[in-house]
Amino acid sequence: MQLTAAQRARRAAETVAALALALAPAAALADDGIDVNTTWYQEQRQGGQGGLTVIHPQADAAIDVGDHTTLSLGYAADAVTGATATVYAVDAVSTATTFSDLRHQGSLGLGFEGRRARLGLSGAVGVERDYLSLSVGGSASVDLPGKNTTFAVSYGHARDQVCDKSNGELQPLERRALTGADPCAKDYGVLGKDSVDAAMTVLTTWRDLSIDTAEASLTQNLSPNAVLQASLYGQVVEGFQSNPYRRVRVGPNEPQEHVPDTRARVALSVRLNRYLPRAHGAVHVSARAYSDSWGVNAGTVELAYSQYFGRSLLLRVRARAHQQTAATFFKDAFFYETESTAGAYFTGDRELSPVRNAVIGGKLTVLSVAEDDHKVWGLFDRVDVNLKTDVLLLDELPADDEAANLGGRARQFLSSDQFLDAFELQLGLRTAW
Amino acid sequence: MLRTIAVVSLVIALAGCGRYAVRANEKEHLADPVMSFEADPQEAAADDHVMSNREGAAGGAGTAGGGCGCN
Repeated sequence: MQLTAAQRARRAAETVAALALALAPAAALADDGIDVNTTWYQEQRQGGQGGLTVIHPQADAAIDVGDHTTLSLGYAADAVTGATATVYAVDAVSTATTFSDLRHQGSLGLGFEGRRARLGLSGAVGVERDYLSLSVGGSASVDLPGKNTTFAVSYGHARDQVCDKSNGELQPLERRALTGADPCAKDYGVLGKDSVDAAMTVLTTWRDLSIDTAEASLTQNLSPNAVLQASLYGQVVEGFQSNPYRRVRVGPNEPQEHVPDTRARVALSVRLNRYLPRAHGAVHVSARAYSDSWGVNAGTVELAYSQYFGRSLLLRVRARAHQQTAATFFKDAFFYETESTAGAYFTGDRELSPVRNAVIGGKLTVLSVAEDDHKVWGLFDRVDVNLKTDVLLLDELPADDEAANLGGRARQFLSSDQFLDAFELQLGLRTAW
Repeated sequence: MLRTIAVVSLVIALAGCGRYAVRANEKEHLADPVMSFEADPQEAAADDHVMSNREGAAGGAGTAGGGCGCN
């Protein structure tokens, strides 16, 4: 319940797109395997209610079925507990409360591999108390003659439902927010249905959300030591995208957050990998530009370096920086309270505010490869054990005139005011046989 | 935006799209797992998951694959 519908929609769409796109190289590798990974994400919060903790286990299996077909199955979960603010206001910290949420997602994929082309099809189902997601996706890639150029396209469609308070014909400034005590009924566990009380009054209803995502990429070998990829990404999200739980203090009122029903996104990214034969390592550089119809414009750059130590250790270090502008309708809380909204919409979503986000991290991989018919652990051709950690730093920027903001911004979000905002720890095992 | 995309695509194509830009026997380093974009899909998915909860500008970081083309 801490995440917005838009965030969960993105997550669902990204999962399908990633799954679909991952099928092509997975099929090309033609290895059966099982991968498991668990992520622990910890974010500091103000308000004395503790931080935010997310545990995210994943398990994926791929099995070759015949010479040209790969079947893949996946499962992921999210266990989220921690503090959240119920009202976006100058002092949102005092409205902090705790919550917990559990999400399950299952996925199924089929990959077909030809001599130079690959095709992937996938589907996924995600279920949690207040959000349901059904999605399908497809991808195709082809190597051009010489196999130095690969062109890939993918498309994903998700049909999601978001549990919401039944607000009937109420105007946006009158709408009430969902609470954790409100029921969110389902049919067959994956289809939302209205909840009614004994008098047959509708308490909660499910709001539709559709997400269409398309991506095209061109990957080019530039030299025996360099490969470049350019990608174009587009997404159209249509439907209810507010956080149904979040209220925004607008003048004397505290209505449910209200954002536009349509959001179109486009992003262009370029990535370069350069191998360094003498060092037995590689440099990775990437840049990304993003723009959407809500007025959020962003740029992201990342620099990473991979270094082998002998044949069984691989260390990767990285630094990533991101900066974005605010959505056109986002205001610092003081101005919603004193000047009302900027048009029809109002939000307390930190992700729609102007922010800088930086990540510094490292990943250590222990590589084990079968030799002379001696399998790793007596079973596998290859086993990789990964340990990865990232530290995350967040800088919230003013959206409006800082000098005129008499209420200040220090307590409008629950974000910690400490330099180190969050950390992420991942432990993974990848196998192939 | 479309003009930028067209120019980038053209530059990439001219930079090395030739059939013999990199010969098959020169792809040893390109085939190394570190040269693959998103060699670990689970790690990439988990990273996207974290970032999408901190940044409103999620998506479009690139696709999997790449590196070799030597299968």
